[in-house]
Amino acid sequence: MIQLFRVHKTFGKDVEALADVSLDIRKGEFVFLTGGSGAGKTTLLRLIFRDLLPTSGQILVAGRNVVRLPKREVPALRRMVGVIFQDCKLLMERTVAENLHLVARALGTPEAAARRKIGYLLRQVGLLHRASEIPYRLSGGEQQRVAIARALMNDPLILLADEPTGNLDAELAADVIRLLREVNARGTTILLATHNATLVKEQAKRTVMLKAGRVVGDSGA
Amino acid sequence: MRVTRLWNLLGDTLGNLRRGGWGGLAAVGAITVSSLILGCLWLLTVNLQAILSDWKAQFAVVVFLREDITATQRELLRRRVQAETAVAAVQYTSKEEALTLFKRDLRGQASLLEGLGENPLPASFQLRIREEHQTGPAMRVLGASLERLEGVEEVLYAQEWVDQIGRLVSVLQVAGWAVGIILGGAAVFIVANTIRLAVYARADEIEILRLVGASRAYIRAPFILEGLFQGLLGATLALLLLFAGYRFIAWRLGLAPVGLLALGAGRFLDPLQVSGLLAAGAVLGGMGSLLSVRRFLKA
Repeated sequence: MIQLFRVHKTFGKDVEALADVSLDIRKGEFVFLTGGSGAGKTTLLRLIFRDLLPTSGQILVAGRNVVRLPKREVPALRRMVGVIFQDCKLLMERTVAENLHLVARALGTPEAAARRKIGYLLRQVGLLHRASEIPYRLSGGEQQRVAIARALMNDPLILLADEPTGNLDAELAADVIRLLREVNARGTTILLATHNATLVKEQAKRTVMLKAGRVVGDSGA
Repeated sequence: MRVTRLWNLLGDTLGNLRRGGWGGLAAVGAITVSSLILGCLWLLTVNLQAILSDWKAQFAVVVFLREDITATQRELLRRRVQAETAVAAVQYTSKEEALTLFKRDLRGQASLLEGLGENPLPASFQLRIREEHQTGPAMRVLGASLERLEGVEEVLYAQEWVDQIGRLVSVLQVAGWAVGIILGGAAVFIVANTIRLAVYARADEIEILRLVGASRAYIRAPFILEGLFQGLLGATLALLLLFAGYRFIAWRLGLAPVGLLALGAGRFLDPLQVSGLLAAGAVLGGMGSLLSVRRFLKA
């Protein structure tokens, strides 16, 4: 589903974020991407959804060559990929349902179908009763669950999560991971970047470890 | 579904305009001022051109005849004048007719004519000149030629005035373009900045839209429409102010209105010109937003 071939990414002249990274993530896998701060986890995720272009190397996502993808086809790629961030990136002045509705509108989903989908996803993440709340009134864990629901609005084949539990305590973090495992069980490929080693050990999933921009370990290779 | 999208787009655009606050007002104001100044110059040009064109249509050279000219000489002179290629028509006005016309022109001020005694006005030929010969050099050649003819006292023509008005119209047109470019540039700059602020204000939303795969057109359209609306609104306000000002001046000059957009001797911009000014405002606004979106919205 996601393949990287000898990917290098350099910022400026000499800041090497990724060096010679090759990776093959199969359809339906749940993969942890670990490493300390500055290891290159976020850069790798951004390369996959074409937020960045590599300095060299090739990246295939669902059979598409991301590096050679014309600009006008980038939105189509991103519709296949859901993205979740540590800071959730929710619109704080809009309600939970409106945050999800924004995506439905952008994708041209008919109104009735959009409402059904929002209801279904909020039920999945256990927040249907809070649909009319603004995110400020939700806990960190609840906000992250809204972000997950929003990332699932376009039925992505791949879900990229960048430190989704970074701001959460252990109990809420476990809650979010349980939710992501449910999503994965329905067939969505998940790549989750985290520096939380305990969390990774508990889940017993494939783990790719990055250090200074290089892959230094891959339990599934 | 397209109707829904269009509705959403309009909703987003109106929301942006509402959130724009003072920045939005500044953009509309800039376009209003630019369009108003342009409109004033345009209106002045249109009216001067109309005057010029009226003058040209009625363009006449007056050949005053000597007191002692005989009927035979007069007829010979008429034929000679008629033979000039520049002359389209010749009309004779006798001394008596000249006095009658003069009295009619001075209606209400008849006292001026008291004590005139004998009719001092000369007989004359009024020549209508073909339009292609209504140029300064051609008129000077014709005037000199006519003055040399037997029985001619004096030749009068208003070519200098026509030339001066023509030059003024040209200057106004050049000034209009120059002012238009400068003020238009300023308006585009202000609109661009307003849209930039709108882009910054919605940065989070734009980022989310990019991430979920919204098309570039979907993300950009509300901002471009916002600029177009600001331009259209500014130009509409300018037109309203221009029309009010025009009516006020017409009222002060005592011109009677003829129809909604036409006044006695003066005239307002015609519907095509009004549409042109509105379109110019919209284009300025659209250009400003397009510049900003291209520069600050890397979606």
